[in-house]
Parts: sequence; structure tokens; C-alpha cells
Amino acid sequence: MSAILQVIGLRKRFGGIVVADDITLGLRPGEVVGLIGPNGAGKTSLFNLITGVIRPDSGTIMMDGVRIDTLRLSERAQMGIARTWQHARSFPSLTLLDNLLLGARDYPGDSLLRTLLQPGISRRMEAEAEQRAMQLLERVRLAHKAHDLASDLSYGQQKLLGMARALMSEGACLLLDEPMAAVEGRTYAIMREVIEQEAHRGQAVCIVEHNVGFIRDLCSRGVFMAAGKVLADGPVDELMKMKDLTALYFGAAA
Amino acid sequence: MEYLLTLAILAALSAVLAIGLNLVLGYGGLLSVAHPIFYGLGAYASALLTMQANVPIPLAIVLAALGCAAASVPLALCSLRVSGDYFVIVSLGFQLAVLQIINNLEITGASGGLSRIPTFAHGSDRNLICLGVLLVAVAATLVLVRTLVQSPFGRALTAMRNDEEALSALGRDPVRMKISIFALSAGIAGFAGGLYAHIFQFLTPSQFGIETSTALLTMVVVGGTATIWGPLVGALLMTCVPQAIQFLDLPQAIGGPIQGMIFSVLVLIFLFLRPQGLMGGSRGGGGLDAWSGRRPGRSSRRPDVIVERLAEEVGS
Amino acid sequence: MLDPSILLQLAWTGFANASFTCLFAVALSLVLKVNRIWNFAQAGMMVCAYGFMYAGTRWLGLDVLAALPIGLVSTAALGLALERFGFRPLRRRGSSSLTFFIFTLVVSQLCTYLAELIIGTESTTLIDNVVTPVRLIGDVAVSDWDIWATSTMLVLLLALAVFLKLTRWGQRLIAVADSPDLAELYGTSRDTAYGITMVLAAILTTAGMVLLGTKAPTVPSSPLQEFLLLALLATILAGVGNVFAAGLAALLVGIGQGFAVLFMPAQWTPMLVYALMAVAIVVFPRGVKLPRIRWRGVVLGAG
Repeated sequence: MSAILQVIGLRKRFGGIVVADDITLGLRPGEVVGLIGPNGAGKTSLFNLITGVIRPDSGTIMMDGVRIDTLRLSERAQMGIARTWQHARSFPSLTLLDNLLLGARDYPGDSLLRTLLQPGISRRMEAEAEQRAMQLLERVRLAHKAHDLASDLSYGQQKLLGMARALMSEGACLLLDEPMAAVEGRTYAIMREVIEQEAHRGQAVCIVEHNVGFIRDLCSRGVFMAAGKVLADGPVDELMKMKDLTALYFGAAA
Repeated sequence: MEYLLTLAILAALSAVLAIGLNLVLGYGGLLSVAHPIFYGLGAYASALLTMQANVPIPLAIVLAALGCAAASVPLALCSLRVSGDYFVIVSLGFQLAVLQIINNLEITGASGGLSRIPTFAHGSDRNLICLGVLLVAVAATLVLVRTLVQSPFGRALTAMRNDEEALSALGRDPVRMKISIFALSAGIAGFAGGLYAHIFQFLTPSQFGIETSTALLTMVVVGGTATIWGPLVGALLMTCVPQAIQFLDLPQAIGGPIQGMIFSVLVLIFLFLRPQGLMGGSRGGGGLDAWSGRRPGRSSRRPDVIVERLAEEVGS
Repeated sequence: MLDPSILLQLAWTGFANASFTCLFAVALSLVLKVNRIWNFAQAGMMVCAYGFMYAGTRWLGLDVLAALPIGLVSTAALGLALERFGFRPLRRRGSSSLTFFIFTLVVSQLCTYLAELIIGTESTTLIDNVVTPVRLIGDVAVSDWDIWATSTMLVLLLALAVFLKLTRWGQRLIAVADSPDLAELYGTSRDTAYGITMVLAAILTTAGMVLLGTKAPTVPSSPLQEFLLLALLATILAGVGNVFAAGLAALLVGIGQGFAVLFMPAQWTPMLVYALMAVAIVVFPRGVKLPRIRWRGVVLGAG
């Protein structure tokens, strides 16, 4: 099956620091790819390049056969790229439900004129979105807090909220930035369950993670990055066997 | 009685302006001080349309409002290019530059201004008629803002204030939102300007300068930013309280400055003692500093905070 | 064909007349650099300086130089009060720049109203005779005032440069400007630095107002309406952080205004100033890029 998200020859440097050094990578539907490597390897930067937070110096990014590296953040999201952030980044002034409703692909509030002149259509769109949102909140076990402010949530709950919000748009490509970081116990279990479900549903999922056990259990494929370069790309168990990689990884962490 | 009616008219005009300003400032979180220039552009445009092109007054006012909405686009585009803090200065520069143009064009009467602008209210009851029209305008603006704020667009605005980048990553377009909110706000100001021109029948550029900016800003701040009733309360308070000095019957040379001083002192009191404004609460709204999500009282001297900020500066 | 001596005259007059605007611009830019605040209250400081000097020369009958300490002390006190009771609490609260904008503007307005109440709204000067003897240097008419004004400006600018580059506190101010947190970790009190900057700004402002007050009739609302905006323009043109470049910009704008009289009617020259500002803001949001001139290893214009 061909890749739905394709990155070709991506390069980016900030002054003297190379965050992306000729990265070529593809994400295929139904695949869960684990993006691993030491801190500062450029994993989050890769997500930022793909989603449009930063612009590459050179290289192309294709989504579903369409070139997206010239598009804005919001436009790329509309094309089906959804992501979570390392620090959740939910909207503290809004309720959980509101947070999710903002993630709908077809959002009635995108047009000021429509909001003012077609309230009926807006209401209908919102009703449908609300149903989906509540289902997602159920999945992350936060439905009972739907009308609480996001700022009232614990850190773990905020990450679950971020996850649910990313799923609202039903994008074909899901980028998860350290979903399990600083998360434990019940939250961990819920998060893992949700990610497994998404993988089964046929989304192309890429996860940045340091938790090796998690990667081994969940990911079919692993990509090892260090200093902006992709050093290895293949089935996870093979990656784990490569001595020099594990030395690099654990050596760096030690 | 006439005096009270005139005061009420001024308060109502200020209310429409303040509500419109709150839209871009409080709800949009865009630090624009240039609001009075759209008021002025609307006033001059409507006046000139009626005087030079014989356009009927209601149509002239509407066209002026639409023109102002269009005129706000350059400013909105500027807001995308510069940081929020510097945008205060940018918007001020925009306002002063346009004001200078008006000040120098013959067609606008230059610094002498435009007089004998046609009016829609005649006769002994004209103040009452004008007030009536304005009260409808205030009500309409309130309804408009309330509808907007409680709509999906309003929800997106709040999110944009909280975290613009995270909002973009969901597929919403802050660029489009900013341009829209600027246009709507400017249109409201232009509409108010048109009404002003045909009520008072006299315009000069000095009516739309930096003092008006300050006055409007303080109305929004005193009332409470990002609240629906705040600007109205602020407008009433800031228009009427300084005027109370009139009852003392002082000569203009003394009364004028004292009235100004009362206004200034009121503002300072609110800025320092009640920054969230009269209508601003603590939960989810109100106050100039509320939208960024910054928690007040968070000491900037704590070592861990300092190190965090240093790390940001040095670049991690 | 333009007589070069006319051009030279216009240039000189423009230059001399811009001496006080230069001082105002440097003061504004300095507070922006170190305290990171667009100090619209500088207009209030200008009014304060003028008001106290006026009281000294007109009510107490003092000589301008004798009244100078009164002006300096009062303006410095105002500057320090602004920083201690205004900027510091707002900063601690994490106030937005709009709050500072409103605060500083309202302070200026308050000072203006106070001055209007006490001095009146008619235009005044600090001394009765503002016409000073004129001599011809080459083909250019140079008045005594021109000489005082330009020398005062140059001496003060030089003193400021020496202070910033060569004294310990001057260097600390620059450190605080570059990175307040780092400077504090190394033992510099930020609040003291902010206070010193306000005092420096007060000195420049008072000097500027004395020059203005001995040259042209002024009303209390002039600082806010006219001179602050010129200082603002110069600061914008020079870019945030370039204090002496702001002074230079003010001088160039002044000379330019002098020349502008040759090819446009006088009423349009303020228009030129605002057009410049609009262009500067839109095209050079970070200030016009001056070539970095190095002199003995020091970059001129910055700092």
C-alpha cells in the first residue's frame, strides 16, 4: 500500500543546529510507526515541519498525492493531518466539549457570515458534531466532565482531551507527540486503548515516544532518528536488535 | 432637558463604539487602538456621500460602514506581520497617518472640518428622534455581539486568544478570523460615524485622534473587556461622570481641565484597583490581561520562572 | 537653480530646530530599550518639566539656568514615581502592553490638564525675549540659540554615550536591556536600572523642554499632540533598541522638514512625517536597517 503521507528530502537548520537532515519517510494507512531517538534528535521538529509550524529549507511533503509544504497550518489540518502536542495545549477558557467541537473538520464558525446569516445550518452542524464529540469523550472516559473548563483538568486528563480533540477531525494521518509522557496508571491504559483502536481503524499513525515497551507492543514499524537524520527505518524488533542504535539511544540517555 | 438628551446621545454613540471595539480587542485579543479612525472615516464618508453625491442618508451610512470594513483590511493584514505588542504602535501609526490625510485634503475641509452636513431629524424634537435611532443602534449592536460571542465563531475567537497555533492545527484559520473580526468591528464603528455625522452635522479631524482612542479604550477597560455588557456600562460611566462637573457651573477654562482630570483619575483607579473592569469576573472572561491565560500574582522573581524564561530567550 | 547657501541655511536651521526633538527621541528610545515600555507618559514628563521651569522663571523670577534644578528634580521625581508606582505594579501583574499604553497616555493627559489649569491654555515661553543675536558664518545665519541648542544636545548625547559604554551602571543598563533575567542573576537590580533610566530620560526631557521653551511659544497640549509623536516616529524609524539612531532619525526628519518647505506648502509637512511613519511601520517593522558603522570596535547607533 502506498504512503498517504510522504516526506522527501526534508532539510531544516536553525543557525548552527540541524534539526532535519535529508529526511525521507512515508506513513502508510493502518500502520503505527514509532518515532524514537534521543532528546534533540529532531522528532518533534519533524512533526512541526509536517504540520506546518515551521517551514523546511528544502524538500517536499505530500499528503495523499498533493504537495502540502507550501500550505499554512490550518490548510494542512484540513487535508487530514491531525496532531497532539507534547504539552496538551488545550484551550483553558473553554469547556471540554467546546475544545472538541473546534476540531470538527467542517466547522460552522469558520465563516463569520455563515455564523450570522445561517444560524439554522450552523445549529445542525453543531448538533452532529456534538454527538461525535460526546462519543469521543466517552472513549477517553471524560464524558462526565464535558461541561467543565479544560483548565480544571489534571495533566493526564488534558492529554486525553488533546487526544480526543485530535480525533475529532477524523483525519487520515495522526501524529502523536509523546502521548504517554508524564502519564501513568489509568490514564496510560485509556490512552493506549484509544491508540490501538485508531490503528485498527486504518489511520496512519506516527507516535513519538520514549517508552520502549510501548513502542514494541503497539508499533509495527520503527523509525530511529538522531541529530536530524533517519538512521534506521524498519520493523521494530529488528531495530531493537541493532546494537549501535541501542547504544546511541541508551548511551545518550545514560 | 436638551442637555441631558445630548449627553444621552453621546453616551449611546460611545456605547456603540465601545461595544464594537470590544469585539476586536476583548474577544479578538487584537491590540488595536485605531478604532476611532474608522469612526472618523465612516463619518466623513457618509457626510461626503450625502453632500457631494446626493446619496440618501440611510444608504450613505450603510455604504460608509461597508467602506470602513474594507478599509480595515490593510490594518488586519499588518496585525499578522507584527507581534501583538508592537501592533499597538502600528495601529496608532495607521490612525494618525489617515487622520493627517483627512487633515490635509480639501474635500474633507482639511483642519477646518466639514459643516452643514445634512441631518435626518428635524424640528424641535430632533434630539429625541436622534436618541431613539441611537438606542435602536445600541440594542442592535448588543444583540449582534451577543449572537456572535455565543456562536461557533465566538468559540473559535476564545480559542484563538488562548492558543492560536493549537487552533490552527485543528484546521481553523486565524488569518480569516482576524480579517473578519476587524472588518465587522470597523463596520460598526463606521456605522456609528455615519450616525454621528448626521446628528451633529459638524466634523473635524481632531474629534478622531489619540484622545478618542484613549477614551474608548478606557470605556472598554473600565466596563470589562470580553464581556457583553461591559462596554455599555463603561461608556455610560465615562461619559456621564466627568460631565457631572457641569453642575458646578465653573468657567470653561477651569471646568474643562477638571473634567479631563476626573476622567483620567477614574481610569487610573480602574487600571490599578479593578483591572478586570466592572463587569469582568474571574471565570473565563473580563479584564485586559485575562485573555492570555496569564495567571496574575505569579511572581516573576522565582528562580525557576527566571531560568525558564532565560531558556526561552537563549533558545532551546 | 537652488543657491547652495539657501540649502545650507535650511539644513542648519532644520538641524538646530530639531535639537530638542532629538533629545526627546533619545529619551523615549532609551526607556523603550531598557524598561521595554513605549513611554507615552514622556509627554507628561515634558509638561512637568516645562511647568516647573515656568514656575521657576515666571513666578520666582529666576534665571533659566537657576531654575534648571527645579525642572530636573521635579521631572526626575515624576519619572521615578512612574516607574515605582506605575510600571512596576503593572509589570508584576503581567499586564498587557495595552494596559501600559492606556496608563502612560492617561498620565500624560492628566499632566496636561493640570498644567492647563495652573498655567492656562494660552501659549507661553520660558523667557520674554526668544529672539537671540544672529551672526553670519559663511553665508549661513546662525543664532545664539542655535549654538546653545546644538551644543547642549551634543554634550548630552556624548555624556549619555560615555555613561552607557564606559561606566559600570551604564553597562548594567545595557545588560538589563539585553536580558533582564540574566542581568539579575549576575547581581544587577532590575528595578534600580529601570529607575536610573527614567532619571536619564528626565534629564534629556527637561533639557529638551528648556530649549523648546526658550525658542517657541508652547501650550500645555503641545507635548502630547506634537512632540511626542515626532519622538515616536524617530524611535520607530530607528528600530527598537537603537537609542542614538533614534536621535539621528529625529535630526534627519527635522532637516528633511526644513527642506520640504522648498517643494511643498508648509501645511503638508506634518503629512510628510506621518507618511514616513506609515511607511516605516509597514515596510520596516523592525526599524530601517542602518549600515553597522564600527568605531574602535563599538557599533555606532546601537546601545
